[in-house]
Amino acid sequence: MTTRDPLFPETDSLDDWFPRGAHSTPAAPGAGQRLGVVVGGSLSRGLDIKLDPQATIEDLAVGRYVVVRGRSKRFFCMITDVLLDATNPAIRSDPPDLGDAFLRDVYSGTAAFGTVHVAPMLSIDEGSDEPKPVRTIPSHFTAVEIASAQDVDDVFGQEDATHFHVGAPLELEDTRVHLDLRRLVERSVGIFGKSGTGKSFLTRILLAGVIKNDAAVTLIFDMHNDYGWAVKTEDGPQAKGLKQLFGGRVVIFTLDDEATRRRGASYDHEVTIGYDEIEPEDLAMLKTTLDLSDAMIDAAYELHKVWGRGWIGQLINADAEALEALKAQLAASFVSVLALKRRVQRFERYGFLKPHAAEDSARRILEYIESRKNVVLEFGRYGNALDAYILVANYLTRRIHQMYVERVEKALGDTALEPPQLLITIEEAHKFLDPQIARQTIFGTIARELRKYNVTLLIVDQRPSGIDEEVMSQIGTRVTALLDNERDIAAVLTGVSGAGGLREVIARLDTRQQALIMGHAVPMPVVVKTRTYDTEFYASVSSASTQDAPKLSVTPSDPESRRLR
Amino acid sequence: MAETEQTPIVGQVLRASTVGFVCGTRSQQIEHPAFGAFVRTRQDSAADLDVIGVIHAISIDDDPLVRQMILANNMTQATIRDQRENRLVPLEISVLNVGYIQGGRIYQTLPPRPPLSLDPVLLCDAPTVARFTARLDFLRLVLNASDVPTEQLLAAVLKFAAAARPDAERRAFLVEAGRLLAGLLSQDLPRLQHLLQLIRPA
Ligand SMILES: Nc1ncnc2c1ncn2[C@@H]1O[C@H](COP(=O)(O)OP(=O)(O)OP(=O)(O)O)[C@@H](O)[C@H]1O
Ligand SMILES: [Mg+2]
Repeated sequence: MTTRDPLFPETDSLDDWFPRGAHSTPAAPGAGQRLGVVVGGSLSRGLDIKLDPQATIEDLAVGRYVVVRGRSKRFFCMITDVLLDATNPAIRSDPPDLGDAFLRDVYSGTAAFGTVHVAPMLSIDEGSDEPKPVRTIPSHFTAVEIASAQDVDDVFGQEDATHFHVGAPLELEDTRVHLDLRRLVERSVGIFGKSGTGKSFLTRILLAGVIKNDAAVTLIFDMHNDYGWAVKTEDGPQAKGLKQLFGGRVVIFTLDDEATRRRGASYDHEVTIGYDEIEPEDLAMLKTTLDLSDAMIDAAYELHKVWGRGWIGQLINADAEALEALKAQLAASFVSVLALKRRVQRFERYGFLKPHAAEDSARRILEYIESRKNVVLEFGRYGNALDAYILVANYLTRRIHQMYVERVEKALGDTALEPPQLLITIEEAHKFLDPQIARQTIFGTIARELRKYNVTLLIVDQRPSGIDEEVMSQIGTRVTALLDNERDIAAVLTGVSGAGGLREVIARLDTRQQALIMGHAVPMPVVVKTRTYDTEFYASVSSASTQDAPKLSVTPSDPESRRLR
Repeated sequence: MAETEQTPIVGQVLRASTVGFVCGTRSQQIEHPAFGAFVRTRQDSAADLDVIGVIHAISIDDDPLVRQMILANNMTQATIRDQRENRLVPLEISVLNVGYIQGGRIYQTLPPRPPLSLDPVLLCDAPTVARFTARLDFLRLVLNASDVPTEQLLAAVLKFAAAARPDAERRAFLVEAGRLLAGLLSQDLPRLQHLLQLIRPA
């Protein structure tokens, strides 16, 4: 009698009748979230991963995270490319008939298979929870998985006083990506993307985080009335402005009281600028916008010398007689003076420019900033006049920055005496920072001097290639929604290590509410589906700021706010 | 042995090597074995080595009497039957070894020793075939065997293995086998394509 016959076993477990280890165990389909194995690559170029047959290539969008579980580390990588491969290139010339379901099932993942290319971003050692930059790569044939919620949490941590929830990583809707607000405001921030990709919404979300957690005070040059009160949306009802979310902690200034009032928005101050306060430096900034020649700018300085304060008012109002007198004085540059006069004549249309301003708006704004109040300057109808926007933003920023420099220098390194960290938000940033003027303008200066004087920029732009390269390289955190112009993508990625694969990611983002965040404020680049700016968001930022803001738009008794937090 | 009753005896080992063996049987028993079928030897328990193989050829040799009868031209039904039932040369069934059983384990590789002459050779029944083919490492052995019609044999073997499974599992089994072959034959696409045509379910 045979003792035991494995072909007629009592047990049904395969391992009981096949010796263990004698066979390569095929990957159990659906085990975990296994995706494939590392088959090659390098630290600089990224890793190649051969997909398991059961991994559906169509689900693997660029921008998703995968985790490579090495022997002693977890490697976090982002998918940067997806490709089709075959073990035998000859199959291309004689492709099997995949209309036949059987052949399709046989061939896919075997003779023909998918490969994804991933960029290693971070690693976490076994038994540690501290993400570190990658300095090596996992060995051959290490298993690769789709990142789990836990993996993402290990990198982006929890929401706390300095970490703010901005959205969810791709395909991990229930996970949160947190931005380090302190690091965010410490260096300049850039928000890029084509028109309509959600830049203004995203900026508002980030600013809400900054205000809520008091990470910095912000000054927003609000070109299209996107930030203060009752924001227009492309589809559906109005969204709330920052003032509605944070009440007294946000102050609205307006250049166009009529427009602001017409929108039913309240404002706290009207900004007027006196002709007598505009200096030639303020005009220099408008060089490209108003198409001013160097000679015209020189003429401005000369006029300033001749006429002193109020020169620009005088120039605008100069009649034939006055010009005749001037001609005698400034014979050499008189042609330029006339040309300049024609250019600045347009200022007459700007209601906020007066011969003399009743109060010093820059000083007023600074007072608010020093008492840690956030300032939104609405441009109203002047938002459509780029020269007005640039003139005002430059005018105010130059003076506020000047006062900041004085304060910081007087504080002699005593941080308690220094003014609060200030984040200045500008839209259409390339108009302020194009290579021709970035060197002379205040915004270029701020971007380049880093955090020396506690002022940083938040620039919002749809054409980053127009921004001076040196300025770009100083931007600490870059948030990029969809860009489709090669030069813009390249500009956003200048100076980013391991940028190669990210260009595909940027070019393939959704047209809305998706962005790649990289740099100073995140441990590794991440594609997020941005939080939706809605009542849930309002409740989450307002309720936490109850103690500072008496005028809350959502009261604690509001059933919605209780539900959400 | 309870199984022996349900499992028809194919024959007895005539000659053997570790690569394969030939078993002989009386010629009227030809309805049992078939090209591609799974068989196993059964030794007594002391030896503890049962070899599993697949039939790759069935042949009938001539003998002097058959030659004479064909020339004699006086064949009656009775003489034909008599010759078939009582002739001295057996039907020869060639088997390719694809695995063995030892110590209660199945191994899908060549056996360490060949079976012994006159060991009984049994046809595997459906559950046995299904169990043995739960792993397909033996396909490589078949694929690399010399002097056998590899593609046809593989196809026949896989059809047997599929038929040993419930209807619902057959397609999945053939797909898995196909995928394995696609890996083994990735450098020989025409052969792969031919094989897949042979095994694809109707
Ligand atoms: N996080 C979000 N929550 C809710 N809606 C959003 C969000 N992001 C974008 N949207 C929708 O997309 C529209 C366009 O967004 P937004 O105005 O921010 O784009 P933009 O990039 O600033 O465009 P432009 O360059 O024209 O100023 C919004 O009106 C809104 O309807
Ligand atoms: Mg916008």
